Parts: sequence; structure tokens; C-alpha cells
Amino acid sequence: MAISLHIHSLSKTFPGQVALRDAALDIEEGEVHALVGQNGSGKSTLIKILAGFHQPDANHVVTMHGAPFDTGNAAAAHAAGIRFVHQDLGLVEAVSTVENLALGFGYDTTFGKRIKWRSETKRAKQLLADLGFDINVRAPVATLGAAERTGLAIARALQDLDEGVSIVVLDEPTAALPGADVDRLFDAVRRLKARGISVLFVSHHLEEVFEIADRVTVLRDGEVVGTKRTGELTMDLLIEMIVGHRVVARSAIRSISAATPPRFVVENLVGPGVNDLSFAVRPGEVLGVTGLTGSGRDTLVGLLSGATPRFGGRVAIDGDDVPNAQPRGAIKRGLAFVPVNRVRNGLLATMSVRANLTISNVERNKRGWRLSHRDEKIEAKDWVGRLSVVTAGTEVPIATLSGGNQQKMMLARSFRLSPKVLLVDEPTQGVDVGAKEEIHSFVDQAAHEGTAVVVCSTDSSELARVCDRILVMYRGEVVETISRETGITAENIDRALLAGSTLAS
Amino acid sequence: MNTEAKAVPRASLLSRLKVDRFSALYLWAGFMIVFGIWKTDTFISSATFKLTLGENVPIGILALAFLVPLATNSFDLSIGAMCSLSLVVSTFLQNDAERSFNLPGGVTALVAVLVCSCVGFVSGFVVVKLRVNSFIATLGISQLVTAVVLKVSDNRQITSAYSPTYLQWGRREVLGLPILFIYLMIIAVILWFVLEHTPVGRYLFATGGNGDAARLAGVRTDKMVWGSLVASATLAGIAGILLSAKIGFFSSATGPGFLFPAIAAVFFGASQLSRRPNVWGTVLALYALAFGIKGLQLVVGAGSFWVEPLFQGTTLIIAVALASQQGVARIRRKRAA
Repeated sequence: MAISLHIHSLSKTFPGQVALRDAALDIEEGEVHALVGQNGSGKSTLIKILAGFHQPDANHVVTMHGAPFDTGNAAAAHAAGIRFVHQDLGLVEAVSTVENLALGFGYDTTFGKRIKWRSETKRAKQLLADLGFDINVRAPVATLGAAERTGLAIARALQDLDEGVSIVVLDEPTAALPGADVDRLFDAVRRLKARGISVLFVSHHLEEVFEIADRVTVLRDGEVVGTKRTGELTMDLLIEMIVGHRVVARSAIRSISAATPPRFVVENLVGPGVNDLSFAVRPGEVLGVTGLTGSGRDTLVGLLSGATPRFGGRVAIDGDDVPNAQPRGAIKRGLAFVPVNRVRNGLLATMSVRANLTISNVERNKRGWRLSHRDEKIEAKDWVGRLSVVTAGTEVPIATLSGGNQQKMMLARSFRLSPKVLLVDEPTQGVDVGAKEEIHSFVDQAAHEGTAVVVCSTDSSELARVCDRILVMYRGEVVETISRETGITAENIDRALLAGSTLAS
Repeated sequence: MNTEAKAVPRASLLSRLKVDRFSALYLWAGFMIVFGIWKTDTFISSATFKLTLGENVPIGILALAFLVPLATNSFDLSIGAMCSLSLVVSTFLQNDAERSFNLPGGVTALVAVLVCSCVGFVSGFVVVKLRVNSFIATLGISQLVTAVVLKVSDNRQITSAYSPTYLQWGRREVLGLPILFIYLMIIAVILWFVLEHTPVGRYLFATGGNGDAARLAGVRTDKMVWGSLVASATLAGIAGILLSAKIGFFSSATGPGFLFPAIAAVFFGASQLSRRPNVWGTVLALYALAFGIKGLQLVVGAGSFWVEPLFQGTTLIIAVALASQQGVARIRRKRAA
């Protein structure tokens, strides 16, 4: 197949750090090419050079269809037919699809600068239909689902297709998408491919790489480890390429006596998305909860932790009732939780790593009336070391850390409270493979120390890795329980998810 | 079509002098030199120094009042009116010429401050319980308070029969400094300690940084916002009674005019030192502006009231722009790294 984008000996040196060393990458016409690697491996540097955000070092060769390509120049990238859909999509939520498509392109107008709404609407419908989406293009984007938004962002990037778009770069498009929506996105990607457009697909989700990509290029520490056809690879091989050594993902083996009284009891819980749910977790047990978006899995942690008010039911720790809608009250009774969406619900972005760690119990380091910054620093250093968090120190704003390291600090905030019950919601979303395994082993350790753990996740392999028992939810109710006896494997969980949705509908 | 990698720029002079974080200090030094040379005899005198230190204290206390809710990302725009309220209550209660009240100064001062605290409690209720944006809520409260002030005073100047002992509390000098300045320093030290060295300070800034996240982490964010509005009202009340002891009469024009200079000092101050609303940055900014205005007034001549707002507006924008330029550059460097 013909090569559209050819990159050779591309390097990028930042003061005191080589972010990319002699990278080589060929993208064939009409292929889906995955780009994977841990955080800091050079993926984003490479993408940013293509997008014209960074200027690469001298002596590189980058050609597009054989013609030299002016790197580090956004206009040149656009002219060469490369389009970017960034992770945050860059949509304006309050206005409609039609208006979002016009951002940066303008409207087709007639006499007196009147916008031709009728034809604009028709055009928008067509652009989305080409990608397999049928949506109300006049409704505010805020009313669209996650997959539809991603589709819109792609449609916007592609709308001047007649100018010869040849490569679309999708930067972690699935990071925030639930399973069913990923399928719709992939459908759109296949349609692009059918039109002869190449897709450069950046993702942390390796299953997706196998599902959608023809070839995959792995970056590690700023260097290209290799490019392989996905058909020639196995998951274990790919992970080995990414982390540089074998990762032994052992399933937790714990034995919890059936005679142990439960530590965490939920009875007849009713709330948004959850309908009369009851379960109990013993000390040292890890309970998984899964389900599609809207099944109740996504609202459960909020209801249990007091982040959102519950309508009815009882939540208790060691027989002690957890008050409704009071996160502080829940924490006081020994319930710690790591909420989903750490940027919105977890991080105090402008505050230091230290302040982020201690915020749930600042009083611990009080000496008389005074808060001892020294003792806090000692504690923060200890946690940063224990969870091997990569940071420039305990005093830098937490926003300067990578996603995986931020997530580790969120876990540290909870672990520091020595909780009786730990709730984690999508603990490894947007986290790279290495940090993922570390986070899983922290969950193991918490259970080992006698904590009752609840893990809500859409990642079946994650649940299979850490859980002793898994509840599958559908429409607010548990439709199946997967236990040791029935076999906790990712395949079983996926099957139960599908079966649940057909069973109850 | 390779482009040569750009040379790493050397640290600029501006960043080496830390002009971004200490612009108020440089500004202050600049004023001392310029006006010191220009108006040596009038500017460099202990009278001018004492006057400038003392007369800006009410503004300074109002600035510190504004700072507390700002830490939680709430605005209290009622502090100017609250200062008036405190002033009118204390004068009204002491005025024994026409009315029957004849309470001792200490009691009237306490009552005035407590009245303000209560109004602050109401502001907090509106913001926290009725979920009204603090900007709007305190703007509304400010007008209500002004209505009360005008009703009580009939919009007339009230000259009170303050006892000489009471007035001494605002006019004396201690260690060669105006006593008001000493009060300001005491309040600043207490506030600095609370904001920077106690868990409460941490909770206030966490609430301001990301309210949702702070609440989920167990911070009582509603209480923080509510409490900060009571604190700001109380401080504004203290500013009012200090004014009463200093000037000895009430005029409805006194308090509201302090609002802008106070807010200007806080925002200018927030661009200094730790780069977030902070006590010493505010005090520094307050006096940098105050000495600049004083110098300019000496140059331009008496009656030049327009100098003050002109000056505050200009320096506020320049200082904050300087800080954000540096901020932008820093982010760029970080992204590049």
C-alpha cells in the first residue's frame, strides 16, 4: 500500500530532556494505525509536532505523499490534509451541532450576511450521517451522548474533506466512552477507512487496539520500540513492548471465611439509577460492580459515599449507619472513596501535592493551634515514595503530574485515612498500563489489611484482576452475581453484561 | 524544510528580578525614590509617613475582609456598606445630644460589630441556603444595608459626643506609629496565621480551588463560605468602629468609597508573593498604592481627588497584567518541558 505520511529520524529535545529520539513512523493510505505507550513515552510529543505545536530538532525527514512536510507549523499540517481530534474534543456545549461545525469555518451566508440555516442544517445532518450518526443537529451539544460528541468532533475535523483530508489523528477518543459507545465510534472509524482516510489512533485501551487497528507502533522512553501488524501480536507481547518487561497480572487470591460478619452493608438502596439494591462486603473482600452506562453502576459510588442524596435504604459500616448525602459524615465513619472523574471531583488542581493528600484529614498534623507544614511534608514524601509517584516534589501543584500519578495521589488521600470501607469508581480510567497494575496492587493491599473494598468499573479485565465477587447491574438492579465458583474471567463478565441487557429487556 | 530549533532563551531580566512576584515592592521603592527626590521636604517627613500609614488602615482592614471570602472563591461586595453601618450604629448609640442612648464607647463598638456579624450571617444564609451567587447576594445585601444606614442617619452628618477616651483609641500613637496601623498589623498577623497555618485556612482555599472536590474530600464547604462571609462582615464592622474613633463623626459617604481601593489592593496583592489571595501581598499592595497616591497628590496639589482612582486603576491593571504575562510564559515553558 502507498505510504501517506513518512517520518524518519524525528527527535525533539527539551532543555535537559530528550522527549523523542530518532522516531520513525510510516502511515499507509487507508489504514488504522495505533500509537501506544505509557505516559511520558513521547506519544503526545509526536502528535504535537505533527499538529504544529512543537518544533522538532533539525535533521529530520517528514514527507507527506512524497512531498516534504513543514513540521511545527499548524497551517502546513492542515494544508497537507492532517486533521486532529483532541481528547477534550473542543466542543461548545451550550450551542447546537450546526453551530459547532461552523466554529473556525464560518457559515454559508446569503444577502445581508443572513445565515442559510436551512442548508447549514442539511449539511450538518449529512456530515454526521456519513459517520453513521443520526442526531438532532439543532439541539445543544450538551444533550448529546458521549459517542455522538466524539462523532461531531470528527465530523468537524473532516468537513472540508474535498480539500483532500488524508489522515485523521484521534487522540484518546475512547478515554471517556462507555463500552457500547466505543462500538459506535469504531463504526465511524471503519467508515473513514472505507473512504481511504488513514486514522492515527492514540489509546491506552489495548483491547481496542486489537479490535480496530491494522498496525500498531509502540513508543517507550521517547523511542520507537517497533511497528507490528496487530494480527502478529498477542496482548502479552504488546504489553511487554510497552513496559519493557513482562507484567505479571496475577489475580488476587484471598480467602475470606464465610463466617466473618460483613463490614459494609447496603440494604434496599434507592436513588437515581439504583432500584432496591442490597449487598454486603466482608472485611478483606473486594466486590466488583459492573454494568452499562445507566445501569446504576455509574451512580452507585456517589450514592454510597454521600456525594449524591439517596432516596431510601440503609448503608452501614460495622453496624454504624452512614448518614445520607454527607461525604464528611461518611468519611468520619470510616468510608473512603475515590470518585470518578478526578479532574472535576477529586483534584484541587492549583494546590500542592501535599495539600491534596492531606485535605481529608488536615487536623492530624495540628500541633496545638498550628498546622505543622513540616510534619505534613514528611507524610507527603512518605506517600509519594510508597506509591512511587513521579513528581517534582511535594510542593508543586498536583496539576503538573501525569494522569496516572494524579490518580495514585487520589488513592493515597483515601488510604491515608486507614478506611474500613474503600469505594473506587473507575480507578484506572485514563491511566497507563504500568500505573494500572500498581493501582491494582494497592487495592489488593487495602483488602489484605482488612478493608472492605467496592470497585465500580467498566473494565472487565480490571474486575477480573482485583475482585472476589462481581455484581452485574442492569436498570438499577443486580441481574447476575459472578463468584469464584462461576469463574471470574473478563470473558465471563463481558458475557454477563451482554446477557444482562438481553435478559432484562 | 527543516527549521532550526530555537535557542533556549536566557532567563530574562524581568524574571530574574522576580518583578512578577514582587512588583508591589519595586513599585513602592520607585515611588519613594521619585517623590523623595521630587518633593523631598514634604514627602520625606514623618508627618507624611504617619498620615499615609494611618489613613489607609480602614481600607486595609476592608481589603483583608474581602480577602477571606475570596479564598473560598466568593465575593463580598457589601463590605463598604457594612463599614458605614458599623459607623452609623456606633455614632447613633453614643449620640446623647438628641436621643436617650448614652452607652459607653466600648459597648457601642461591640454592638456595632455584632450587628455587622449578624448581617454577614444573613449574607451567608442567602448564598449557602438560597444558592444565590455571592456576587449578586452581597450586592443586594449592600443595598439593603445602605437603606438602613440612610434611614438611621437621615442622610445627615452625625456628630457624636464621643468621649475623649474613646477617641484616644483611634488617635493615639504607639511606638511612634499611629495606633490604627498597629491594629491593622495585629489583624493581618492573626489572619495570616489562620489562612496559612491552620486547617481552617487550608479548607477555605480548598473550597475556593475546587468546591465539589473539596466537599467530596470531607470539607464542609458550605460552612466555609458561610463563615467567611460572617468574618468579612465582622472585619468590615471593625473597620467602621476604628473610623469612628479616628474621625469622630458619621457621614454616609464614608464607607462605600472604600470598596474599590480595598478590592484593588486584594487583587494587586493576589499577584504578589504566593500568587493567590494572600495577607502580606495585600498589605504590600495597599501601601505601595497609598504612597504613590500621596506623592502624586503632593506634586499635583491639594484638592486633586481624581489622582486616587486614576492611580489605583492604572496600577491594578499593570500589576495584574505583569503577573499574568509571567504566568503565561511559565505555562508555555512547562508545556514545552
